Amino acid sequence: MRQVPVIWLIWPILLTLGLFFFALLRFADTSLLHQIPGTAMFEGPRSLVNYTETFASPLARRALWTTLVMSLQITALTIVMGYPLAYLMARSPSRLLRNAVFFTLIVTFLSGGITRAYAWMLVLGTTGPVNALLQALGADPLRLVNNRLGVVISIVHFVLPFFVLTLMGAIRNIPAALEEAARSHGATRWAAFRTVTLPLSVPGLVSAALLAFTLAISSFLFPLLLGGGRVQMFANLIYDKIQSSFDMPAAAAMAVIFLVFALLPILALSVIRGSLSRRFGGTRR
Amino acid sequence: MKARPYSMLVPAWAALVLLFLVVPTVVIIYSALSPSSRIAFPPQAITLKWFGNFFGHPQFRDALVNTLLVTALVTPVSLAIAVPTALAMVRRRFPGRGLLSALALSPLAVPGVVIGVAFLNFFSWTGLYTGFWKISLALVVITLPFAIRAIVATLEGADLALEEAARNLGAGRFRTFLTITLPQLRPGMLAGGIFVFVEAIDNFSTVVFLTDMQTNVLSVQAYSYIRDFNDPTVSAMATILILQSVVLVVLLQRFAGFDKIFAGR
Repeated sequence: MRQVPVIWLIWPILLTLGLFFFALLRFADTSLLHQIPGTAMFEGPRSLVNYTETFASPLARRALWTTLVMSLQITALTIVMGYPLAYLMARSPSRLLRNAVFFTLIVTFLSGGITRAYAWMLVLGTTGPVNALLQALGADPLRLVNNRLGVVISIVHFVLPFFVLTLMGAIRNIPAALEEAARSHGATRWAAFRTVTLPLSVPGLVSAALLAFTLAISSFLFPLLLGGGRVQMFANLIYDKIQSSFDMPAAAAMAVIFLVFALLPILALSVIRGSLSRRFGGTRR
Repeated sequence: MKARPYSMLVPAWAALVLLFLVVPTVVIIYSALSPSSRIAFPPQAITLKWFGNFFGHPQFRDALVNTLLVTALVTPVSLAIAVPTALAMVRRRFPGRGLLSALALSPLAVPGVVIGVAFLNFFSWTGLYTGFWKISLALVVITLPFAIRAIVATLEGADLALEEAARNLGAGRFRTFLTITLPQLRPGMLAGGIFVFVEAIDNFSTVVFLTDMQTNVLSVQAYSYIRDFNDPTVSAMATILILQSVVLVVLLQRFAGFDKIFAGR
């Protein structure tokens, strides 16, 4: 069968990717320059001074640390909250239940970041329903916004649908018959899950957790709205740099450092993925 | 009797998690309909004035128009690039195919703020100053992975034999594409199109660097409004977006099926 040459199919994506990577390279180059004081322009000679200044700045170091710690906390919470839900969706015999959970997840997922960030401001705010409930029960109101807690809660909510939908696919690809076989040979429900399904789901769990971490580390809108200026995640620091001084070279250096931290887990994963699938067996392909 | 595959603790925990997922949606709709900016329970009255405020507010109206124009451009362009890319990735063997697949999805892994500042820097160097084009171009790059992923998933399940049969029966290449391949791609294009559309409306972290005095979009306008005012106008906007996503989910289920879209990814 004669076919059109591949290049006819892929030139649009090559063009788009070319633009994207050119913009990123240009940006990396900008990070080596320095701002002409009092203007939005920049000039050479090229040096690493923006990088050394970023690493020397206590503010930037603290923001980087905060971002990493919060992203790990968010990933851990997402796993604890999301795994049972993904397992239920993959294994439940009830189609109605599966579709109801699907519906909830996808509506949440599609209703967008702004919607959810504002919703959490209302829910967790000092006059919001959570504090109203606490007061009605005679408890003291809690500070749930303008601090880390509010930011973590809202990001977990944002990340959960992505995590659950990714993990569910992986669990569904593990034959339920394996767990049933363990049960029929006398394993308890928990033992069957722990020794059969859980280990087989590890590769899928790692991908889903990595997605959660990547989404958490890039969050910008949630700390901006729910942090009340008190929670500086790294993305917000870059935004502030542009807003306050329009120092593009300094912002570029911070962005490059940030990008490396955001990509590290993905690179690490591709290295360990081989050993993982040898140990646990791939869930697919 | 067949035992349940899990203990009842799992559904109980899952129910709590679902409650956590739903609460914000319920509260925001509730607040959009309540007359004061303080959330009171039980409700005193129901009002639509915040919706009136949203559509009557000149900045929100401009932002809505711009957002609609941007999505009207970005959605078809993103799909038009994604369809041939997905075809090449699934159906063809060529040198660099694996690399292309990885690179095509790479914008997903780059934080939105980094893409935003990088494009801001790039556009000021190229001298492109029209907000509409800057935003649209950045959004095409950002949304492409969503479209490609959805279409690749559909293509992997499509039957190649149908196309061969059509060609063997004498249909031309173009006719085969139109009558066999494209209909097979429809669920993936629908799902991909919906993800692109939603991301194009919702994106904040990249677009906030590219808006200007003339061109604002909904997400950025909502942020400035939240910062400056304390009333449920943004709740009204959010309620409209939630209703829209309910409609899209029904479409998705009706014409593509959840199970197919989110099967083993």
